[in-house]
Amino acid sequence: MSDQAVIPLRVVGQRLPRVDAGERVTGRAIYPADLVRPGTLVGSIKRSPHGHAVIKSVDTTKALALKGVKAVVTGADFPEIVPGTIIPFGETGADLWVSALIVMARGKVLWVGQPVAAVAAVDEHVAAEALSLIEITYDVLPAVASIEAAMAKGACVLHPQHTTKGFEPGAAIPPNIGSRTLLERGDAELALTQSAATASIAVKVYTGHQGYIEPHACVAEADPQGNVTLWASSQGAHQTEIQTAGILGLPQSKLKVVPLELGGGFGGKITVHLEPVAARLAQISGRPVKMVMSRAEILAGGSGPPAAAQVSVEVGAEADGRLKAIAGRYVFDTGGIPGTPTTLLMQASAACYQTETLRLEGMDVVTSKPRTEAYRGPGGIQAAFAVEQAMDELAIKLGMDAVAFRQRNAAVTGSLMPAGTPFPSIGLTTILERVAAHASWRDPLPPGKHPRGRGLALGYWRGTSMTSAAQLTVAGDGRVMVTMGTVDISGTRTTMAQVAAEEMGLSIDDVHVATGDTKSSAYSDAAAGSRVGRTMAAAVVDACRDALGQLKGRAAERLQAPEVDVTYDRGVFRAGGNGGTAASITLGELMRQTLTDGAIIGRGVSTKLPFGVEVGAHVVDVEVDPETGQVTVLRYTAFQDVGRALNPTAVEGQMQGSVVQGLGWALTEAIDYDADGKVRNASLLDFRLPTALDVPPIDCVIIETPVPGVPYGLRGVGEMPIVPVAGAVANAVRRAIGVRVTNMPMTPERVLAALKNKAGNPA
Amino acid sequence: MKTVVQCEVNGEPREALVDPRDTLLQLLRDRLGLTGTKEGCSNGNCGSCTVLMAGAPVCACLVLAGEAEGAHITTIEGVADGNDLHPVQAALIQHGGTQCGFCTPGIVLSAVALLAETPQPTSGQIRHAIAGNICRCTGYDKIVTAIAAAAAEMQAGARQ
Amino acid sequence: MIVDLKHIGEMCSVVRTPDKGWRIGAAVSVRQLGANGDLARDYPGLIEAAQLIGSLQVQSRATLGGNLCNGAPSADAVPLMMSIEARVEIAGTRGRRMVNIESLPVAPGKVALTPDELLVAVLLPPRPARSAARYLRFTPRREMDIAIAGSGVAVRLGAAGEIAHARITLASVAPVPLRATKAEARLIGERPTAALLAEAARIAAGEAKPISDTRASADYRRELVAVLTRRALDACVAEAGVGGSKP
Ligand SMILES: Cc1cc2nc3c(=O)[nH]c(=O)nc-3n(C[C@H](O)[C@H](O)[C@H](O)COP(=O)(O)OP(=O)(O)OC[C@H]3O[C@@H](n4cnc5c(N)ncnc54)[C@H](O)[C@@H]3O)c2cc1C
Repeated sequence: MSDQAVIPLRVVGQRLPRVDAGERVTGRAIYPADLVRPGTLVGSIKRSPHGHAVIKSVDTTKALALKGVKAVVTGADFPEIVPGTIIPFGETGADLWVSALIVMARGKVLWVGQPVAAVAAVDEHVAAEALSLIEITYDVLPAVASIEAAMAKGACVLHPQHTTKGFEPGAAIPPNIGSRTLLERGDAELALTQSAATASIAVKVYTGHQGYIEPHACVAEADPQGNVTLWASSQGAHQTEIQTAGILGLPQSKLKVVPLELGGGFGGKITVHLEPVAARLAQISGRPVKMVMSRAEILAGGSGPPAAAQVSVEVGAEADGRLKAIAGRYVFDTGGIPGTPTTLLMQASAACYQTETLRLEGMDVVTSKPRTEAYRGPGGIQAAFAVEQAMDELAIKLGMDAVAFRQRNAAVTGSLMPAGTPFPSIGLTTILERVAAHASWRDPLPPGKHPRGRGLALGYWRGTSMTSAAQLTVAGDGRVMVTMGTVDISGTRTTMAQVAAEEMGLSIDDVHVATGDTKSSAYSDAAAGSRVGRTMAAAVVDACRDALGQLKGRAAERLQAPEVDVTYDRGVFRAGGNGGTAASITLGELMRQTLTDGAIIGRGVSTKLPFGVEVGAHVVDVEVDPETGQVTVLRYTAFQDVGRALNPTAVEGQMQGSVVQGLGWALTEAIDYDADGKVRNASLLDFRLPTALDVPPIDCVIIETPVPGVPYGLRGVGEMPIVPVAGAVANAVRRAIGVRVTNMPMTPERVLAALKNKAGNPA
Repeated sequence: MKTVVQCEVNGEPREALVDPRDTLLQLLRDRLGLTGTKEGCSNGNCGSCTVLMAGAPVCACLVLAGEAEGAHITTIEGVADGNDLHPVQAALIQHGGTQCGFCTPGIVLSAVALLAETPQPTSGQIRHAIAGNICRCTGYDKIVTAIAAAAAEMQAGARQ
Repeated sequence: MIVDLKHIGEMCSVVRTPDKGWRIGAAVSVRQLGANGDLARDYPGLIEAAQLIGSLQVQSRATLGGNLCNGAPSADAVPLMMSIEARVEIAGTRGRRMVNIESLPVAPGKVALTPDELLVAVLLPPRPARSAARYLRFTPRREMDIAIAGSGVAVRLGAAGEIAHARITLASVAPVPLRATKAEARLIGERPTAALLAEAARIAAGEAKPISDTRASADYRRELVAVLTRRALDACVAEAGVGGSKP
C-alpha cells in the first residue's frame, strides 16, 4: 500500500468543498435539538448543588403528581454498575462505571451539577416546576475542589474503596490519588547534576472546556415492543450504543443509535451524558423525549471538562546544547471519578526530544469537580505548557537560537520515544528546517507600541488507530455508496468520498458517503484520537478493493475473458490489458446489466494500523501591554507533518481551529470553581472563548512525510496542533517582557503579576 | 396568558400563539419550525441564534416573542432564494468556512447584514462584524476569507 | 406586565436641543446612535463607549436608557455620561422630572426610579470649547466581555492651556459608577503635564472601592483604574488641546 504515494492522485489531495456544506450554510443540517417527533416530551435534569454529599433520600411524589409530568427517574431506575465493568473501546476498553456515574449519581454526589434525578414533561415550564418539586436530602461532606485541597494531608477521601496503583511499596501516598505512572530511562537526577545548564519550571493550569457550540442534546423514543431509538450528536454512534445499552441493561439488539449532525465535540461527546436518561424517560413515558443541556449546565457540572494540572519540569543539557535529562512531574485533576490516564500526555510532552535520560512521573488526582473528559490531544497542551517553556529557557541559558536548540535535539525516525520504543517515521527535522527558513521565524519582529516577542514550541501527538469499518455498495448506474461506522467530525464524509473516488476511479460526484446508524453500519471506534481520517481511509480502501474484486469477476464473465486478464481504470473494465482494441465495459454498464444478479457489497475493516504520529512546530508573535498585562497575538504560523493531506482545506481547518482553541485556553478560558466546587462563571460571557477579534489569521505550513503501511501515508491531523499553542505563547511572552508566566490561562492579571514579581525580585 | 403574534418572516406573513415568557428564538424554532436558527447559550453570548430584524442583526434569544409583533425578520431559511445561494453562503462552502455548521447560520446572517451596509469591508471590519458569533471549529480564518470573497463577488456582480 | 418602549416616538429619537446640546430618547438603540454623524462629532467618546456594549447583535437592541436603568456598575455608557454631566428626563404618573444622571444609580441593579416611572430621555449639555470626553475600559477579550474596570473622563482646558474643568467617573470598582472627586480636584487649575495626569490617575485608583470576584481581584482593578484614567486623560487633553470642539 505504501506504493500508493508514487501514483499520481486525482481526487485525494484536492481542495474540494465539503460535500455536506450546502445543508450547513442553509440551516438545513439537523442536530438533535432540531428533530421533531410527534408528541415529544421535554426531559430535564435535577443536579447536585453540592460538591460532595451523601444522598439520603429522594422524594419524587410531588413531581410525579404535577399535571403534565410523564416520567421521573432517579439513580434507582438504573441497574447497579460496579467499578471495573469494562466495555469495548479502543485498545484498552473503558469502564462503564465512569459513564454510569456521569449519567446519574448513586448514593453519593461527587460534584456540583452531577445528575440526581430527571423528569419528562409536556413542556419546559412544567419540567422546570417538576424539578423544583423533587425533594432531596443530603448529608453534606467536605468538598476538595482543587488538586491542592485533594492532596492535602488529612483531606476528605472521595473514593475510600479505591486502591491507588503505581506507587512503590511503602511509599507515602497522598490522599485521593487515582494512580501513578512512571516512565524512566537512565538516571535523570544524576544527569541533571552533571549538566552544563539546567532550566526548570512549575506551572499550574486551570480547568478549561472544549467549548463546542452545540449544547449536548438527544431525542429518545421507545416503541411498544421495547425497541429504543436514540438520535444523538455524539463522536461515536457505536460508543453511545454500548454505553447506553450497558447503563440501561438493554440488549444492543433493542437499541439503535442514529447519529445526527454533531455541533462540535472535541473529545467532550464520547462519553454519554443525557442519552441513557432520555432513553429511560422514553421507556417509562412511552413518548419521545428530547433533552438539551443549557450552557450553564454544560459549564457547571453537566459535561466533562479537560483536566486542570500542575506540572513541574527540569531539563538539562551539555554546553553544546545536547539534552542530558528531562525530569517531569505531571499531576492531573481527574475530577470526581479516578482514572484519567497520564501516560500518553507525559510521552507527548517530551516526545519531540532525544534525551540521554528521562524521568516522568504522572498522577491523576480525584477532586470534587466534574469527571474530566477528553479534549483534543488530552493533557497535551497542559504538559507542553511546562516542557516547552523549560526547553525554551534552557536554550536561552545556553545562548542558543530556539530553533537551533530544537534541531540539536530533535527526535528522528528510530530514536527512542519516552516509553523506550523507537520512533516510527517522523519528519520533525524537516519541519525545523522549514521553520528556520520561513519568514515567520526569520522576518524581524516589527516594533510596536508595547514590547513584542516571538515564541516557538513543538508538539507531538500519537494518532491512535483502534478500528474502523466501512461498507461499499454499487448502485445500478455504477455509482457508489459508502456507509461508515464513524460519525463525521472533521469533514470525514468529504475526505472518504475523495478516497473512494480515487480508489474506484470515479469522480467525487459519483460517490455518496453516509454516516451509518448502529443498525446499518459495523462497529467502529469513536471519532477521537486523530484516528478517523487514517483508519477510515484504510477501511474505505479495503472496501473499494473488495468491491472491485467482485466487479472484476462479473466483468470477466461479460467480457468472456479470464479474470486475471481484466483490468480496471477510471470506470472502465478491459479484457487483455489497456490496449485500445480489447473488449471493454464501463462500470455503469456492468451494473445495469448485472445489478439483479445480486448486490455488490465491499467490506472494509481497518485495525491495528501503525500509529499516525503527528508532529509540528508553532511560531507566534505577541505584544504585551506592560501596564495591563494584556497579550495580543499578532501573527501565528503552524507547521505540521500530516503524512499526506487528503484535503488541504480540511487539514488547515483542523490546524486553525486547534490553534484558536489553544489560544483561548492559553489566554482567557478557565472554569472558576470556588472551594466548594461551585462554578462562578457558568456562561459564555465569563468563560471567554476567543472571538474573531481576539485572534490573528493562522498561517499553515503543511509538510508531507508519509507513514509506511498506511494508505496514502496518512498521519493524524486534528489533535497535535493544540498541543504547542500555550507553550509557544508563553515563550513569546517571555521574549517580550523577560518573565515566565506559569499560570494558564495567562490572563492579563497573571501576566501583570508576573511582571511585578520580576520588578520586585530582580534576577 | 398567551397572545397571538403576527409578523413577517422571510417575506411571508406568519402568526403564532406565544407565552409572554417565550423568546423570538422559541417562536422561530418551536412554533414556526424554523430550526436553522440555533440555540447555543440563551444569553446573547454566542450569536448562534442571530437573525435580522429590520435588517439589523439581533440574538433571537434576547428578543421576546411579543416584540416580534409587526416585525420583519430574516432567518437563515430566508437567505437563499430556493437553492440559489447568497454569495456569502456559496463562499463559505467554497472556502471551507463551515465545519460542524452549528454557528454557520448566525455567521451567515451577520455577514449578510455587514455586506448590506459595508459592501467592501476590510478584514478588520469582517472580524468586527462576526465578533458576536463564536465559532469553535474554524479559528475564523476561512470564514473571514469567505466573507471577503463574497464581498468581491457581489461587487463584481454589481458592476456588471 | 411587559411594556415595550421601542414604539414611543419621543423615546426613539435623537434631537439637537435649542442650547446646542442633545436629547437622546432612552429607547434609541446603540446601533441608531452610531448612525448619527453630528452627535458623533460632538461626543465621539459616547458613541465609542456605547459601541463597546456586547456585540453588534446586542447593540441592535441595547439602549442608553437600558444601560443606565440596568444599574450595572460595569455599564459602559454611563461613566462618560456622568462625566459630561448629562441629565435624564423621567416621566411618571405624577408628571415629569429632570435629574442629574449621577443621582440615578443607587446600588447594583437599582436606580432611583419609582415603579411608576420611566426614563424618557438623556440630555447632553452642549459640548464646551476646548473640551473632550473619552471612556476606556479593560476586558480580557476585545468584545463580548464586561469591564473589569473603566474610566470615563471629561476635560476642559482654559485659555492658558490649564485644566479648567475635569470629571472622572469609574466603572466596575464600586457598587455604582464612582466619581473620583479627589483626582478631579488635583487637576483643576494645573497644567496637564504627563506627571500630573499620572498622579491624578493614581489618586483616582486610591478612590476606587473595588471588590474581588470571578472577573478580577480588587488590586488588579485598582491598577487598571490608574492606567485607564491616565490614558483617558492623556487622550482628552490631546484632543481638547487641538481645538477639541466645533464652534
Ligand atoms: C450578551 C450581552 C453583553 C453585554 N455586554 C455589555 C457591555 O459590554 N457593556 C455594558 O455596559 N453592558 C453590557 N450588557 C448589558 C447592557 O447594559 C444591556 O444589554 C443594554 O445596555 C440594556 O439596554 P436595553 O435597552 O436592552 O435594556 P433592557 O435590557 O431592556 O433593560 C435593562 C433594565 O432597565 C430597565 N429599563 C430599560 N429602559 C428603561 C427606561 N427607559 N426606563 C426605565 N427602565 C428601563 C428594564 O426594565 C430593565 O430592568 C450586555 C448584555 C448582554 C446580554
